[in-house]
Amino acid sequence: MDVTSTLRGIVRSAAPIVIAGEGELITERAGVINLSLDGSIMLSAMTAHAVVRETGSLPQAVLAAMAVGAAIAFIVVFSSIALKLNQVAVGFVLTILCADLAIFLGKPHFNKPGKEMPAAPIPILEDIPLIGPVLFKHNLLIYFSLVLIVLVWFYIYRTRPGLTLRSIGDQPEAAFVRGTRVQFWRYVYTLAGGALVGLAGATYSLSVKLGWKEDLSGEGWIALAIVIFGLWMPWRVALGAYLIVGLRSVAIDLQDSEVIDLPAQIVNMLPWFLMIITLMLATSGVLEKMVRFTPDRFKPTVRRFLRAAPPRALGTTFEKH
Amino acid sequence: MFKKLCVLAVLVALVAGGVISATPQAQAQDDGLIFGVVLVGPKDDHGWSEAHYNAGLYVEENLPGSKMLLLESLNAADRPETTLEQVVEGMVEQGAQLILTTSADFEVDTPVVAESYPDVVFVNVSGDDAFWGIAPENVGNFMGQMEYGEMIAGCAAALKTQTGSLGYVGPLIDPETTRLVNATYLGARYCYENYRGMDPNELTFGVTWIGFWFNIPGVTLDPTDVSSKFLDDGADVLISGIDTTEALVVAGQRAAEGEAVWAVPYDFEGGCEEAPDICLGVPYFNWGPAYLKTAQAVADGTWVQSWEWNPPDWDDLNNPDTTAVGYIMGTGLSDEETATLEEFIAALAAGAKGEEGGLNLFVGPLNFQDGSVYLEEGEVATPAQIWFAARNADEAETPEDVNPPQLLEGIEGTSE
Repeated sequence: MDVTSTLRGIVRSAAPIVIAGEGELITERAGVINLSLDGSIMLSAMTAHAVVRETGSLPQAVLAAMAVGAAIAFIVVFSSIALKLNQVAVGFVLTILCADLAIFLGKPHFNKPGKEMPAAPIPILEDIPLIGPVLFKHNLLIYFSLVLIVLVWFYIYRTRPGLTLRSIGDQPEAAFVRGTRVQFWRYVYTLAGGALVGLAGATYSLSVKLGWKEDLSGEGWIALAIVIFGLWMPWRVALGAYLIVGLRSVAIDLQDSEVIDLPAQIVNMLPWFLMIITLMLATSGVLEKMVRFTPDRFKPTVRRFLRAAPPRALGTTFEKH
Repeated sequence: MFKKLCVLAVLVALVAGGVISATPQAQAQDDGLIFGVVLVGPKDDHGWSEAHYNAGLYVEENLPGSKMLLLESLNAADRPETTLEQVVEGMVEQGAQLILTTSADFEVDTPVVAESYPDVVFVNVSGDDAFWGIAPENVGNFMGQMEYGEMIAGCAAALKTQTGSLGYVGPLIDPETTRLVNATYLGARYCYENYRGMDPNELTFGVTWIGFWFNIPGVTLDPTDVSSKFLDDGADVLISGIDTTEALVVAGQRAAEGEAVWAVPYDFEGGCEEAPDICLGVPYFNWGPAYLKTAQAVADGTWVQSWEWNPPDWDDLNNPDTTAVGYIMGTGLSDEETATLEEFIAALAAGAKGEEGGLNLFVGPLNFQDGSVYLEEGEVATPAQIWFAARNADEAETPEDVNPPQLLEGIEGTSE
């Protein structure tokens, strides 16, 4: 097993899950749950493939996919804010609807050769041993997945609008009192998150899986799961994505292993298992205890790492009183 | 409230629209044979299912008045709510007199369902219930001798490889897939040694099974990942044994990035289409003739139960009206390699016809992975031994008596 190429493969395969996960994180941090990810990714992946086949233009394909993702997100947030419908129910219906729609509308382009995002190795950096091939020998979409992690983290924790974002997800009433236009920003962040989900779809059909083969169902649910696994924190969401994809990679190696007999299904089950464990740990106070038992010197760091709370207003509607 | 209802109504209509469009569409006709084709995957998978769909079209073309009823993607992931029994019921209601269940996935259910419809002929493609005589009289089987196609595929891969490492993306483990991997391996070894002049023991041949005939997210390994992994680990030719084309697509991507890699797809005549430049050719099933013969017999009322393992037409390997298995040369092969492969095919043809100097690769000494003997020195495998990839296939009286299939010694990958 070649470590470099395995890691490179993980960075590449995990890219769409990272992008979708970070997108959903932004949406959820604003207090909205967009549950439609699974269908959104399929529909946008199909869209990107269809557009690139029709127009030959990669930028147009990417933009179209992002528009599809944003449009679906708009339905979620509009039906929540304007129509006062249940976000979870609408998102769930949209998941199924978009998945079927992707298969139905994508028939003319199913299994047809598309176009691939060209490789764009970064000069000099790509020659660094290990790190070079793993991080700097990809295409733009994969690079973006890496940059996005930093961007989202920086935006949420280091900028003023990021603070506002957190506040409308945690305490929309307080934010409103301070003069924040809660509903408006929820639209903005949900659409932005949705556009990223659409970009994740484009990353599948223009890079990771290349083409449209109707076999993307499940990836969106995994992205949703790792947002929870990552406890709504950009780094941990990314970590979750790499972990899941890394495990898939390990599962392939394990097939020949005489020592460990672990069927693929077990590995495929792990995201959900990890999600439940994480939620249990996060809500049971175990994490708090772990912080208490760490030496004082490390407490702030450990606390920051283990601190776990979903946005308090997640999934609720906000009414101006 | 009204708004909500509107939204709901639109959503329901859209969902319902999607569902309705997915149900089989066909009208019964007054005359001519109506036959049903049940596919495990979509009819445009560029692989196994598409080859079957095309055979159905071939019957419609060549048997006047005949009409195909099609059901795509009958599998636990795409249609968890649908059983073979329901599908058959629907097709019989629409007048089907012949139903082809075109996957090993339907092998267990086909005879069971067939019991309820004694007047309808059932053919399970790739199964062997009729071989054992345990199936109801209205159930037959046929299959193509893809071993030859795979030997050619293996040979093409061995002629091309620079790293001496080949990766086989396998579906699930059963006698069919095991014998096909074995055949591929034998072809590869032979050509590596005899045409390349290399030591066949230095040829690396790995198999990874994804767990089903195609990718089912959350259930199987992802064939895209499996293909990438092979290339990462040093293989430079991928051979596909699954219904879909991921191996070729991944190799095409890598080649576009400048790597020297190739692939051999499977099942379908047009299999090379997605990355022709790095395609070393495709062994494919040509089901048309077998379909037509069966349909004709059913229409004439002369059909009798049989188990058929149809050979390629050695005089005209790619004749759509006569061959059961063909091989389309890929543009990834050089002229010289193509010529060598032609030579190999000619030798196989001679062997199959029993001519002097002909080539038969299923000849001992051959061992299985666990070290047990498959064929003694000089022993020629019987058809049953090849079919079941087991030494005791001829002595067994029921399917349960046959040893589980095993990969040959020298293949890396699991047999169970």
